[in-house]
Amino acid sequence: MGLFLKDIDLKGKTALVTGATKGLGRGTAIAIAQAGGNIIAVGRNQLELNSLEKIIKKLKVKYKSINCDVNDYNKIKRFISNLKSLDILVNNAGTNIPEPFLNVKKSSMETILNVNTKAVFNVAQLCANQIIKLKKKNGSIINISSIFGIVAGQKRTVYSMTKFGVEGLTKGMAIDLAKYNIRVNSVCPNIVLTPRTKKYFADKTYNKYVKENTPLNKVVTVSDVATSVVFLASEASSMITGTSLIIDGGWTAK
Amino acid sequence: MLKKINLKNKIALVTGAGKGLGKACAIALAEAGARVIIISRTQSDLNKVSKIIKKTKGSSRSFVCDVTDVNAFKVILNKIKKLDILVNNAGNNRPEHFTKVKRENMEYLTNLNMKAVFNIAQLCSQKMVKFKNRKKIGGSIIHMSSQLGKVGCEGRNVYNMNKFGVEGLARGMACELAKYNIRVNTVCPTFVETPMVKKFFKNKKFKNKMLKNIPLGRVAKESDVATAVAFLAADTSEMITGTSLVVDGGWTAQ
Repeated sequence: MGLFLKDIDLKGKTALVTGATKGLGRGTAIAIAQAGGNIIAVGRNQLELNSLEKIIKKLKVKYKSINCDVNDYNKIKRFISNLKSLDILVNNAGTNIPEPFLNVKKSSMETILNVNTKAVFNVAQLCANQIIKLKKKNGSIINISSIFGIVAGQKRTVYSMTKFGVEGLTKGMAIDLAKYNIRVNSVCPNIVLTPRTKKYFADKTYNKYVKENTPLNKVVTVSDVATSVVFLASEASSMITGTSLIIDGGWTAK
Repeated sequence: MLKKINLKNKIALVTGAGKGLGKACAIALAEAGARVIIISRTQSDLNKVSKIIKKTKGSSRSFVCDVTDVNAFKVILNKIKKLDILVNNAGNNRPEHFTKVKRENMEYLTNLNMKAVFNIAQLCSQKMVKFKNRKKIGGSIIHMSSQLGKVGCEGRNVYNMNKFGVEGLARGMACELAKYNIRVNTVCPTFVETPMVKKFFKNKKFKNKMLKNIPLGRVAKESDVATAVAFLAADTSEMITGTSLVVDGGWTAQ
């Protein structure tokens, strides 16, 4: 800790990360561990949970995981309400099925809404209750949102509906949880290069669309987002709550 | 995965660096390894800040200058070889009810909070883009805005006008300077424990009323804001441009 520069340090803290096996969730879990935080990983692929364990344990922090679908309310509730330590939630699990509005299938809409909205709410509520139950002096919840929580994009009606919702939830939670000194923020990345988005970027038109809409003319990396999440998770941001950290190379500034 | 706030080999200029937030930012940037150029109207304030920076093993150069004096500022810039970071901080406030705002106060505040902010940003940007490696090493400009650049508040109409303006300027600059890899963002603090705010808070009724608007129930510390500025100055935020980092304890979330 300097005179005016606060450390971004998570030593002794425990963070639960959903969707931790791939992409943003996996990167964020690693970044949190690099900052000294213990990891509780929630994911649906046991092999990937195991390979993550190897990486996290090398960083000399504790690791715990559960193979669980965030939609499975009873299973996730049992798990979270039995945690002995919890300070941070990275509410990351999410999905997308891009379709033009007129052709959005009912099943796609329901799949996206279940994960991006309902499960996000449930996991947030369960973790907030657990942080309070454990009598933590402070806590931090980071909802992984998107630039499509701020603006619209092609074939993103359902995704925007859910991510605008997450933005609203973030502000509402921040107000209700302030008295427990639990801060709640979102990060809003542009389209990040991850295993899920790789197939979008394979399309030349899409690639061009993203680059042309990003004034910095670069693709956001997992490391860019993970670093911001760690900043929001740490006490370096102890007065930041109810807001969004937009990581979009200028996309939404236009 | 995790990027650290590291400003080694960077040169940062901070205006209004003699007191309050500017002073805190200058010291924080120096703590992160930057060489800092501090600007203020008051030599004795600059001396104190230089001394603190020296004590923390940082490096600084100071210049006495009123930022509304464009020609004097140009002379200073000519003495500097390279510039990577600008913290466009100098500003002031004279709260008055809209119907009672004196013309001279409106002009004083607008000259300082908008015209000088624009001029300093333009001159520094011109200096930054001239550096031939700019695209590779990047640059960062941080305007000191306010939560009152996001929402209105009684007696703050001129300040609102100025800070909303700065929010617009930051977005426009971000779009135009992206091709040079210069990022432009704002920091929007709530009331901070600074000499300026201490003066306002002598009015206890006002203080209590303001604190009620901050869900976290406390004012920000100078280090909260300075750390956010350092985060935006460093490569930790290399894909963040054209946005605001709101450090307001939840004020604007409501």
